[in-house]
Amino acid sequence: MTACIAGMGWVTPLGTGLETVWERLERGDKPELASVTNSGTGRCHPCFLVPPKAVEYLARNPRLRRSSAISYYAVAAGLAALEQAGVAPGSEAAAETAVIFAISNGGVLYTRRFFEQIVQHGANGASPMLFPETVYNAPASHLAALLGINGASYTLVGDSSVGITALHFAAQLLALGSVAQCVVVGAEECDWIVCEAYRTWRFARTPLAEGAAAVVLRREGQWKLRAHPGAPFAKQSGAAAALESVIRDLDVPRSPHVIVSSANGTFVDRAESGVLDARFPDAARLYPKRTFGEAPGASALQQTVLATLALQHGRGSCALVPVVGVNHQASAAWIEAS
Amino acid sequence: MISESPHRVAVTAFGVISPLGRGGRETAEALRSGRDCVTPVMAERFDVSRCRAKTAGQVRAETPAATSDRTRKLHPASAMMMAATLELVASDPGFTPELMVIGTTSGGMSYGEAFLRAQYGPTRARDRAAWVANYMPQKAVLDAQAAGGFVCASQIIANACASGTNAIGHAFQLIRAGHQRRVLCGGYDAISELVFVGFDSLQAATSELTRPFDRNRTGLVLGEGAALLALEEFESAQRRGAPILAEITGYGISTDNHHLTQPHPSGIGPRQAMERALHDARRRPDEIDYINAHGTATAFNDATEGLAIAEVFGGKVAVSSTKSMMGHSLGAAGAIEAVFSILALREQFLPPNINYEVADPAWSLNIVANEARESRLRCIVSNSFGFGGTNASVIIEKAA
Repeated sequence: MTACIAGMGWVTPLGTGLETVWERLERGDKPELASVTNSGTGRCHPCFLVPPKAVEYLARNPRLRRSSAISYYAVAAGLAALEQAGVAPGSEAAAETAVIFAISNGGVLYTRRFFEQIVQHGANGASPMLFPETVYNAPASHLAALLGINGASYTLVGDSSVGITALHFAAQLLALGSVAQCVVVGAEECDWIVCEAYRTWRFARTPLAEGAAAVVLRREGQWKLRAHPGAPFAKQSGAAAALESVIRDLDVPRSPHVIVSSANGTFVDRAESGVLDARFPDAARLYPKRTFGEAPGASALQQTVLATLALQHGRGSCALVPVVGVNHQASAAWIEAS
Repeated sequence: MISESPHRVAVTAFGVISPLGRGGRETAEALRSGRDCVTPVMAERFDVSRCRAKTAGQVRAETPAATSDRTRKLHPASAMMMAATLELVASDPGFTPELMVIGTTSGGMSYGEAFLRAQYGPTRARDRAAWVANYMPQKAVLDAQAAGGFVCASQIIANACASGTNAIGHAFQLIRAGHQRRVLCGGYDAISELVFVGFDSLQAATSELTRPFDRNRTGLVLGEGAALLALEEFESAQRRGAPILAEITGYGISTDNHHLTQPHPSGIGPRQAMERALHDARRRPDEIDYINAHGTATAFNDATEGLAIAEVFGGKVAVSSTKSMMGHSLGAAGAIEAVFSILALREQFLPPNINYEVADPAWSLNIVANEARESRLRCIVSNSFGFGGTNASVIIEKAA
């Protein structure tokens, strides 16, 4: 499925703004490593958090007054991408826009707090204010409301490959002809319960992170994007074969100038490098998770934004964004000048 | 772009497991008899003593798919998805999906709950790892693939209670446009304490019988289950001699931005979804024989859906909410109710809306009250609406 990138936005631990963050990446800046603490055991987990100032302007919006951090990040990234694409909230163009949301752990801050209240105070001690924001599609709903969209809004859930799945899904909608553009947003918020889960699962080699990224896709534009639907793997040992099949299916016309890797310090690194070293030994590689951390719902779209920025800054004319998720799919996107 | 001559979309098989039964035969019998399958929440699940609501539509965990050592560790959501897959594969062994599109709202949430509880007390590391591995929504989808003996990409839609219908609708659109030939679609959800208490805390759940569209309705009862539909380009299905159970002919989606949990009182969201589905199927409202309503029995949902149905269709079309028999299975609801609609088409009957006593004077609807009715059915609308203002309708027709 092919579509074109018309706008981008992101919220990262290094801040917001495409150029601002790009420059900081070029300088080799690193975000401050923060931590979150398990309220049961007192164990601290390192993580990369979004500076609160980056999204505080959204707190005045009545629609977001009770929402969780993930909605703030998603809305900030989504609105930035739409602004770059020239789509104003409430406009006719907004009405022809679909929201496609990629999510992995969802509104985990409120979900953990709500269930903690049940555990600690009993069912009748849980606040009804929290529950609605625990629903996976709450952030997408807020973004759709702020844009004035009354048509298609889809939230897709999966592992860190879900961002590419969402790009593929958006390209499908564009090919169906039912919308003029799709804003594809991936977001993640950080909570100790997710850190505990990844630690238990031995996936916490890269600090978990929060943030968001958004890409507006249209049928025409300067940067063409082709996203793979994904290849599942049931065991880690099958990840390399899954990625190999993805790259084969994508039928990339030449070696990419840039590869923006999904390496995160786990089995993913070995699976990914095994395939890419053999196929594209000369391509330059960027490793954003070493700087941004692992934000599963947002990572693949952050990779996509970074790849496009690299091309826009003269690093070549084509880029590959491979993603090996942790327990769902391998996938990839190919980006090139139209 | 949609091609000039869109492809027809056949349903060649389904698999279903719900409080009404396991498989098409048991389910049809329960629907025909108007069986009330809502029961007190099983004690081994979680404590409901401090909730207003005490009942749910529950699936017995001892499904045949959960008898081996490996499957015993799986979440009940996986077991339900595997059971639905096995039924579907047995019905149409030649169906090999190119893509899965599956709806869910909470995946294996109860394992997430167990993991959180474990932070406050001693548990085995092995258990914690198993909970994490089986908690995520994609796990049940991959387990279904393993049970069915196929491997394909999957899109997991989490559009709250509209997820199942969204999954069917999106799969339908892809086949009709010629982008895919065979898609396995549907939805699943298993009851969890978090979701049960969540609806209870919002006072959307009832402590009484659930009475969709009744003037004295007091709220929803939660349910659970899984359903899958094999969708295939019609001529492709015909060529391989597959059974053609029904056709999907239209899909409508709308987003109502009024509030995260409450629909706009005008009913604009449901109305747009149904109107768009009719337009998509090139059907007039008077060509619809039956509406399987979302019908959660909450004050707000039924008020807006009832109003929208009356505005779009008038008061003649037969309407029922099958949630009256099994509760609201959230992300599975749209898929389960699509299967109910196919069974109604196949056996030519209208599933009942049980517990219905007093008509709501806010609208005039032809509710299929309390007992199933024999009826000549050709064209059905199935509705699903959810938190976040997401609304979806599909049109299911008897195969010509």
